[in-house]
Amino acid sequence: MKIKVDRGRCTGIGICESVAPDYFEVGDDGGLVLLREHIDDPQRAEVEDAVRACPALALSIVED
Amino acid sequence: MPVPIHPRPFTTDKDISSAEFWARSFVEREETFGWLRKNAPVSWHPPLQTPELLPEVHGEPGFWAVVRAEDVAFVSRNHEMFSSDSKKHGRSVMFRPTDPSLVPSPTFLTMDPPEHTRYRRIMSAGFTPKAVNRLRGLIEQRAARIVDRVMGAGEIDFVTEVSAKLPMMTVADLVGVPEELVETFAEAGDRFVGADDPEINGGTDRTQFAMQQIRVLREIGLDLVRHRRTHPTDDIATALAQAEFDGKPLSDDDIQSAMLLLSVAGNDTTKQTTSHSVVQLWKHPDQKAWLTEDFDGRIAASIEEFIRHASPVVEFARTATQDLELGGQEILAGDKVVVFYASANRDEEVFDEPHRFDLRRTPVPHYGFGGGGVHFCLGNGIAKAQLRALFSNILTKLPDMRVGEPEMLQSEFIHGIRHLPVVIPN
Repeated sequence: MKIKVDRGRCTGIGICESVAPDYFEVGDDGGLVLLREHIDDPQRAEVEDAVRACPALALSIVED
Repeated sequence: MPVPIHPRPFTTDKDISSAEFWARSFVEREETFGWLRKNAPVSWHPPLQTPELLPEVHGEPGFWAVVRAEDVAFVSRNHEMFSSDSKKHGRSVMFRPTDPSLVPSPTFLTMDPPEHTRYRRIMSAGFTPKAVNRLRGLIEQRAARIVDRVMGAGEIDFVTEVSAKLPMMTVADLVGVPEELVETFAEAGDRFVGADDPEINGGTDRTQFAMQQIRVLREIGLDLVRHRRTHPTDDIATALAQAEFDGKPLSDDDIQSAMLLLSVAGNDTTKQTTSHSVVQLWKHPDQKAWLTEDFDGRIAASIEEFIRHASPVVEFARTATQDLELGGQEILAGDKVVVFYASANRDEEVFDEPHRFDLRRTPVPHYGFGGGGVHFCLGNGIAKAQLRALFSNILTKLPDMRVGEPEMLQSEFIHGIRHLPVVIPN
């Protein structure tokens, strides 16, 4: 499973970072950096929470 | 630009437009919103009654009330269909009708993408989780000082002595206002927001009073931005100083607008959530104890419930850009559509026992920061950091504070507490 970012929708709000900081980091320029694309099983729930929490609906999880 | 008038019948007999309705309490008004959520999720109403502004002058024929969480989210996320552009549509994003000839200098609050994106991006780097973390130490220091000051103070107004203090100081810190000007800046922001209140304007003309405060914020903002052009750091004043559109820097009016936007958006919201949560924790001592027991483990989720329950921003408005169907109703291009976040925050489809203050709720997908989409509250991280700092201090340093009856703010925009008498024993 991996994370997909819709760059057209993402505005660097950073809720994802607050929920799953191992995977998401909003840089000092305000842009999102995806730290890891592939999701480790034990962190699956956390990443799903982050994806769901995105107010811009910019995140999704896709099969490899 | 004239607003198209589409005469049509009001779709319910429920009144959410009169001054009398909005003078009632939140709980009483919620009864009506509860009925609407169940029976008429999208409904057409007369414009908000504005004794100070004649309907012939504002020209608004009415508005659609969107009261269900799902629909509030839909409207919020679909900015192409529901526009915030005040220039294009000749009306602001406020529920309250405004005089179309008095259009204030726009901020990104009243813009659509792509313009919205460009303006918001100027400031957005100052609000990322990392930026909030950099400010955290200072926020915590200020919160500690504010609470320390009232320890053993006896009978005080919690709103003026605590809740109101931190938000504007934090705005000042975000902007980069030098320490010696923070109090002046903060006071001007508070007075600007409270300009309608005779207690605050001292009985003077509210427009003159508001303009005085705008002048203070403008002067401090412009001076600082000018300074930052040659002495940049990582504050918002620097971001404003360095911003360029088509090779041109921001105008003085743009900078003033930014100061005002931050002063309004960053002020009342956090202040009200603080006061409301103090009241709720007093009413639910078991939950106060539960939170205190494991503050670090429980505060993050609790803050979400603080915001949901307080719901400080009651609503905002949009303008439909096309004919569309929502909630079984035909909305026409040009119609005003009002999304009631406070109603979404009490939507029984989303929240069990929605009226209940319940810190154990999880998750809390509230609408306190809006319904999502590009206008999602930029300050959400800063607000949460302030609430965390304040309540850490309040719970540990004021454990025996006794809370009296709140005096509520009468407003159709802000769900607020004007005064909160408390007793802080020695």
